[in-house]
Amino acid sequence: MSKTLRPLKYWVMGLVVAVIVPHVVGTVYTNIIVTFMLDAVFALTVNLLMGYTGLVTFGHAMFLGLGGYAAALALKHMPGFPLIGVIFVSGLAAFLLSCAVAPLLARVTGTAFAMLTFGFGQLMYVICLKFREITGGEDGIAGYSTPPIHLGFTNVNITDPINFYYFSLIVLGAVTFLMWWLVNTPFGTVIVGIRDNALRVHYLGYRVKHSKALVLIISGTLAGFVGGIYALFHHLVSTDGVLTIFVSFYPLMACYIGGIGSFFGPILGAGILQGINVLISRYTQRIDLVNGIIFILVVMYLPMGSIGIWLSIKGWVLKNKRKA
Amino acid sequence: MYILETNGLYFDYKGLEVLFDVNLKVEKGERHAIIGPNGAGKTTLFNVITGSLIPKRGKVMFKGHDITRTAPYELFRHGMARSFQITSTFAKQTPFQNIRSAILAKRGIRFNVWQRVDKLDDITRETDEFLKKLNLHNERNFPAAALSYGKNRSLEFGMAAASDPDLIMLDEPTAGMSRDETHDAVNLIRKLSDGKSMVIIEHDMDVVFSLADRITVLHRGEIFATGTPEDIKNNQQVRDVYLGGTEV
Repeated sequence: MSKTLRPLKYWVMGLVVAVIVPHVVGTVYTNIIVTFMLDAVFALTVNLLMGYTGLVTFGHAMFLGLGGYAAALALKHMPGFPLIGVIFVSGLAAFLLSCAVAPLLARVTGTAFAMLTFGFGQLMYVICLKFREITGGEDGIAGYSTPPIHLGFTNVNITDPINFYYFSLIVLGAVTFLMWWLVNTPFGTVIVGIRDNALRVHYLGYRVKHSKALVLIISGTLAGFVGGIYALFHHLVSTDGVLTIFVSFYPLMACYIGGIGSFFGPILGAGILQGINVLISRYTQRIDLVNGIIFILVVMYLPMGSIGIWLSIKGWVLKNKRKA
Repeated sequence: MYILETNGLYFDYKGLEVLFDVNLKVEKGERHAIIGPNGAGKTTLFNVITGSLIPKRGKVMFKGHDITRTAPYELFRHGMARSFQITSTFAKQTPFQNIRSAILAKRGIRFNVWQRVDKLDDITRETDEFLKKLNLHNERNFPAAALSYGKNRSLEFGMAAASDPDLIMLDEPTAGMSRDETHDAVNLIRKLSDGKSMVIIEHDMDVVFSLADRITVLHRGEIFATGTPEDIKNNQQVRDVYLGGTEV
């Protein structure tokens, strides 16, 4: 088996599993998996900023939230609007918002960046809370119906959980692929350079602010797509659901628990959190307490996240192999 | 025409005069060392030239253009690269990735999001060739933070030189090195700056006298003397203020 084919084999296996899974596990777990995918890809967009560019954001919910509201509004006020258009609109809304905030955010780093994103996120929260005529305030927007996808020869009903699973798998998979591609391009090396040493990047002829603004816009726009899927999945978009500080904080936890340094760490982290939530909720309602404790333990004892465990096992095995 | 020229440069830190009418002239293709006792204003002059400080008065000319208020990223694009006194590489990344960043920068590849960087074979080849010149090819895939101090300094210098600039600005390239490391570093700098213009700030007189074509002595923010290494060695006033009568 050649070197290039081996990863392909795993990709094909993964794809087959992903296709079969909803038929095996049933509706409840299919929906749990969709929730996990939403969390995971949202965490990836945060990791693009935090893990790759070194920008910790406390306000990423504004992009997810705006994407969600845009999708909900489009569905509510424009019956018959095609589904692809809805996804596009949610991305567009988040794109416009990120274009508006990026010029300001790109000028600051570190704590100032974190606080500014926090400020913008809360601003978005309050605006949507108070702008009742459009956003429905605390109640949010609900009661919109999801149109089917027209594929020419047939219509796919997205309200069916399994169909929705496939739909979100395709969209979120595309978003994930775009990000994976991005971090492997020359521009990806620039943003990692900014994380490690922005001054050197400046002295290598790059306008650091411009690069930061671009990665902010990309990350924000992709988070908007996730928000669009969220709106279609939950049939309800409200400030508490998509715009509170906890929505911004959850992907940070997923990134830390999975491992910030790697691309797939946040996916692992979101999976761990989701798995724990499913297990814990059978016994107690204090899920946030358990999450918080896990978060503290990871930050204290696993600075590389769960991926770090895997890496140290791999390192240990390699070391013993070399000895033998 | 001079590749680098400063005209009547003044700089002060809140009233404390650091540079006082500095007229530095660097010929194309020469290695020019700036020496002087601590507090002479060497690093300030370096920072003014490389765009991190703006002078109070005076002009910096590079290749005939006024670059006094030009941002660092633009200076790089005009062909001026610098190294840092305190190693300032991408420490979490490998030497390969570090040098590759400089090569990408040289080619002006900035917002390329449609090609995979590891599939750009000519970039990879050029990076590997340069790593061989730096004698870092054996450490190609280790994180820079795990390398020895000397190797890190090579990498630091390499990142400035890899972009094939017209003028290399080196801020104390051998600071903190052992005698052997310094010897290797001098050979490396000589090899990679061949035929290029270079400005070097340095404390180590052995380094200065073995590298420099011309030397400028800075003293209390003013140019005290300029000349060939021989001139400077034989200048009695320079010996008094700086060389301190040590045998050189």
